[in-house]
Amino acid sequence: MENTDKSLIEAHCRGDKTAFGELVRRYGDGVFGYLMKMSKNRQEAEDLFQETFKRVHEKAHTFRGSQFKNWLFTIATNITIDGMRRRRRMRVVSLNQRLDCTDQDSEELSDVALADDSYEPSQEAEKAEQAQQVRAAIESLPARQRATLVLAYYQQLSYPEVAKVLGCSLGTVKTQMYRALRTLAQKLPDV
Amino acid sequence: MEHHLTERELIEYQFKLVSDMQIKEAAEHLQGCGECREHLEKLQRKFSALDLLRGEAQISEDLISRVIEQTGSAQSGVRTRIVWFKKYAWLSSAAAVLVVGVLLVATQLSKDGTKKLEVAKGPMPAVEIKLASKPEITSAERLDKDIVGKRTLAMAPKEKEADRYAAFGETAADTIPEQPPFAPASAIELVTLPRREEVQLTIYNSADLTLVRERRNLTLKKGWNWLQFMWANTLIDPTSLSLEPLAQADKIDIQQLVFPARLRELGRWLIRSEVSGQVPFEITYFTSGLSWRAFYMGTLSQDEKTMQLQGYVRVGNNSGEDYEKAETRLIVGKVHILDQIAELAKRQYPYNRPVEFDAYSGIRALEDKSERLGEKLLYSYAEKTFDTELRAKEIRKEGLSEYFLYTIEGTETIPDKWGKRLLSFDAADIEVESLYKYDEQRWGNQTIRFVKFANDEDHNLGETPIPNGTVKIYGQTDEQGYLSYVGGTNIKYIPVDEEVELNLGPARLVSVEPKLMDFKTDNYIFDNRGNVAGWDEIRTWKIEITNTRTLPIEIEITRGFSTAYWTIRTDIAYEKYDATHARIKLNLEPRKKQVFEYTVTTCHGTREETFAEKQ
Repeated sequence: MENTDKSLIEAHCRGDKTAFGELVRRYGDGVFGYLMKMSKNRQEAEDLFQETFKRVHEKAHTFRGSQFKNWLFTIATNITIDGMRRRRRMRVVSLNQRLDCTDQDSEELSDVALADDSYEPSQEAEKAEQAQQVRAAIESLPARQRATLVLAYYQQLSYPEVAKVLGCSLGTVKTQMYRALRTLAQKLPDV
Repeated sequence: MEHHLTERELIEYQFKLVSDMQIKEAAEHLQGCGECREHLEKLQRKFSALDLLRGEAQISEDLISRVIEQTGSAQSGVRTRIVWFKKYAWLSSAAAVLVVGVLLVATQLSKDGTKKLEVAKGPMPAVEIKLASKPEITSAERLDKDIVGKRTLAMAPKEKEADRYAAFGETAADTIPEQPPFAPASAIELVTLPRREEVQLTIYNSADLTLVRERRNLTLKKGWNWLQFMWANTLIDPTSLSLEPLAQADKIDIQQLVFPARLRELGRWLIRSEVSGQVPFEITYFTSGLSWRAFYMGTLSQDEKTMQLQGYVRVGNNSGEDYEKAETRLIVGKVHILDQIAELAKRQYPYNRPVEFDAYSGIRALEDKSERLGEKLLYSYAEKTFDTELRAKEIRKEGLSEYFLYTIEGTETIPDKWGKRLLSFDAADIEVESLYKYDEQRWGNQTIRFVKFANDEDHNLGETPIPNGTVKIYGQTDEQGYLSYVGGTNIKYIPVDEEVELNLGPARLVSVEPKLMDFKTDNYIFDNRGNVAGWDEIRTWKIEITNTRTLPIEIEITRGFSTAYWTIRTDIAYEKYDATHARIKLNLEPRKKQVFEYTVTTCHGTREETFAEKQ
């Protein structure tokens, strides 16, 4: 039988070196996807990801519940929102590079694009542009609305679960979700 | 619900933000209202854009490693014990205060005996002092002992742990249990798989097969070690995994590779080690998804008598794994495998059916053979033309019996989903023959252009076979070196000393126009009943060849007669190409036209026998 999250956390607290790695692998994609949508760029998402799991590692002994995933996303959300507050105070100007692509990557991508016969530049460019619009629309949402949307839509948490993660009532979650969707309905591109 | 649904109501319905009752009401309304349905569909299309961001974030193995490494230095179990101490910190403080207090009193007493007596005035002064002091000291000692005791309790696991590690490291050197420890999937201590030190890829293109050999330094402890290897989201064939120590081989025994039940994409090696510390290991396995292909660019000189040929290799990685600084080797030739690696890699569990995988041993043997081979044929083309600051990487070629091994100089980082193009060779001044061919049976009424050369020393080639790939030929249009695209084709594997003709497609400036000028039958033979049993057909053809190019051309015209019983009459030279074909070769000056005629007689029926007798 596959290890439960709880048993992995317990094993980790006992000093099992692999348990934590297994947790990171189990939830890595989900948490990273969440953080990518909550942050400005990949670098920031990677920093937040490391910070999240560092916090999980430090607080592992305090985990008492049964829903590790919710607990994990709560930590990720708190770290992200704290980070946003800090940034707001610092006002760092983003150069608005492609979310998952550095300049070096872009050069290599164009190299590949030239070498690969199956590459369809126009379609790819259109798709990338639409994705950029979606990303910009999501980025424009206030932090709580964005977190609600990403957790409910992309991470497919139920509304009660989102409420637990964000530490608010179910009604608040639904209101935040509606407001996020209303904004997106105006800003999303036609696909 | 009589009114149309508002956008808010539609959003709430779509995302289930309202009660079940309200959702039901909205659903009923939508059933009967086309306008609202249309409005809803529009919203759904709008929100479907959100899916563009689904799955865009794939976490890298590097980040996972960083996180694990970051947290690996301090264990939370230790933290638990530290918290326990904090809980009782006040006891330590209280005890310390008491001890100091008592000591101060005792010092005062020892300094001033009179004072001591004064203080001890009473029925049993000395005893009082003792009694007074004893309980104080005892209390302090007890407290201290309690604390020490508790600390000992708290430390006990740690000390035991320390003892345990010491036992593995030194004292229990000779007491490695014969049997490996029972290790349920969830509760084993694993050796962390560190980053690769070196990696070598050998890509067998013909079979979507790559042999990966990587070197990692594993930190082992004396005794039994478990090493975990995961291949999630990759195309690694778990049945091909192999682990070998590169040092201390006599003291390290790889006992088994287990695939824990119901844990997917994960294998664990059990290693018995008589040494502790870092040991280099080689891990080898097969993966799918890495490929390479060769392609070539030829540039014809203005007079089309010579050509510069540049060979490239494009290596692509769709294996799901990033290979950093990999030594890359490419195999030309076909290997025989029984299973497709990609299919093996995608199975739910690595142990769900026995796999008879024969290729590994074969190819491994081939690898060993390649390393034993002393002969290393080096191409110097790259050095000839790229002797600059950014010198192109050399691709070294070695012969391996029926295979050929190309090694890319140095190392290359090939991330997942990326491709890299590398220069394989660059040969200038290759003498070529431009040739036009006309053969109705093969290409219809089109004249096809060919470029002909040989893979030999006379043509500045011939060091190695040329792998199959795509060739694109360009022509220099003027002195400035402007190029025009002439044509392209796929070439098959060209062995050394073999001639090659590159089919560049239809030629527009050279045309061949055959016209049937006359047709008649003759030499009838009748059987006993007076029926025709044999006859000859005589055709006269006029062939008009037009060269509108500014260069002289050589053209080869092949004529087919659909029978082996033919004779031809013409003023022009021809050769019998095969039983049913004749071939005529001509040279034509620039912007000239040439016309010739031939008459062909073909024998049919019993006339064939007569023809054979004459021959």
